[in-house]
Amino acid sequence: MHWLRGVPVTALTADERWDLVDLVVGEVVSTGTVRRTLADALGDLTVKPLTGFPVALAVLYAFWSVFSSFAGDLVTDGFMIGFFDGFWLPWLQNVWPDPQSLLYFVFVGDPSAETCFDAFGVLTSGLFVSIGVVLPAVFIFYLTMTLLEDSGYLPRLAVLADTFLHKIGLHGYAIVPTILGLGCNVPAVTATRVLETGKQRFMMMTLLAIFIPCGAQLGIMLSVIPDLVGWVMLYLIVGFAVFGFVLNRVVPGENPEILIDIPPYRWPVRENVLKKLYNRTRGYLKEAVPFVLFGILLVNVLYLAGVIGAVAGALAPLFVTWFGVPAETVGPLIAAFLRKDLAVAQLSTIAMTPYQMITSVVLISIYFPCVATFVVMIREGWKQLLAAVAVLMVVVVLYGGAIHGIGILLGVA
Amino acid sequence: MRAASIAAGLVGTAASLLGLAGMLVWAGGAGPLDLGLIEIGGDDAFRWAWGGLVVLLGGVFMLGGARSPADLDRTATALLGAAMIGLVGGCDLFGMICTGIPAVFSPDTDVTAIFMPPYTPAVLLLPFVIASAYLLLEERRED
Repeated sequence: MHWLRGVPVTALTADERWDLVDLVVGEVVSTGTVRRTLADALGDLTVKPLTGFPVALAVLYAFWSVFSSFAGDLVTDGFMIGFFDGFWLPWLQNVWPDPQSLLYFVFVGDPSAETCFDAFGVLTSGLFVSIGVVLPAVFIFYLTMTLLEDSGYLPRLAVLADTFLHKIGLHGYAIVPTILGLGCNVPAVTATRVLETGKQRFMMMTLLAIFIPCGAQLGIMLSVIPDLVGWVMLYLIVGFAVFGFVLNRVVPGENPEILIDIPPYRWPVRENVLKKLYNRTRGYLKEAVPFVLFGILLVNVLYLAGVIGAVAGALAPLFVTWFGVPAETVGPLIAAFLRKDLAVAQLSTIAMTPYQMITSVVLISIYFPCVATFVVMIREGWKQLLAAVAVLMVVVVLYGGAIHGIGILLGVA
Repeated sequence: MRAASIAAGLVGTAASLLGLAGMLVWAGGAGPLDLGLIEIGGDDAFRWAWGGLVVLLGGVFMLGGARSPADLDRTATALLGAAMIGLVGGCDLFGMICTGIPAVFSPDTDVTAIFMPPYTPAVLLLPFVIASAYLLLEERRED
């Protein structure tokens, strides 16, 4: 029983009840004119195309600049290379018995190697790539990504991206799996669920698997081919747009409009940022690092068994004549199914022209998704996976050949 | 003419010219261009083409906002421009720090040389951009 001034509420007349309602409303509702603030004006300017696109250019510039300075200059080049090549590799080569044994080959790699990149053993290249190169790249990527999310900028980027993404049958929120994919394709595939229709989810998943290089691959690319990363990315962006446009025409289904709720700008809350960063980095350590180590182990075993040599021999004519790359690139391409970053690292040790290097790295990017992404795609549905793989095969042959053709026309292939 | 207006105009003009210079040096392959305190490397497309474009557009925004700082949207535009130039300058500084930290542990590297001039244009513009943004915000508060 509720009471009001000594009288049970149920005993009040209708007028008294309305008076009570007025009393409550007067206490909790405030009215007045809303004054547009500087924060509102800044928020509006970042979604208007004329001012929003330059701001997006600046934000993305800062994103990549911080990424390469921290992961490349500070952690990997500054400390990790010195530690792994100066201490870890010589120590392992000294303490591991019998350099001619199979175990030495699998776990330490090439006994004459002077860098962990060249050694290609589970405990040399495996640990160096996963801890020395990819971990700092993934860490700084997730930190900047979280700051963009929590500050309220990401929904505004989605509004701006909507103009372009709508032309290929997606909508603005497809920018979320796209940017996530630049960190790791595994959560990005799961993030395609933000899209409404089956057509949009299939398209996004396929484009992710083919054209979005993950943070691990980007980190390695920045380490071993820094001058060519821009050209590789250009080919991938063009491919994303062209094949997205084609898929939109070919795949049946709907592309509904979307209403995006844009929150006000806020300072990110430190606890939230740290929690997200911890969860995402832990996810990488749990899911990706074992794959790196297992990947190298398997590649070494396949190499010893002669499988890679046989497949490379069979595929070499196609690679040399159609794609215009050296026959030796077949091995790394097979390894790319396990880890694309390792495959790029392997490519860097093969002698070839800069244009062949660009072609090879693009091929590694657009060829089969890595096994971790593959497993997640299976979870999203068998039919979609098979269709995506079919599209992928066609894209690799067509686009790989087209890149070779462009090189011939430019006189650089 | 208020102080904020003059400051935004001057910094905007300088940023536009220096951003354009960075892009031109990169496009012409004529780098590095040494201007005393400032050096335009022009060797890296990401830094000088993309970064130069951001500085140029930031300068244009500041110039646009300088015309009428009493107007809320114009002030916001000028502040956005300042933030854009600040982002590039901040990233250049962060890059210097990231290169400098490992050098502290390396006996053959002169750490002070990393932080000595010449600087990139955005780093030199940074204190002026911050001062200009401060004046714009102060003026807004007074209004």
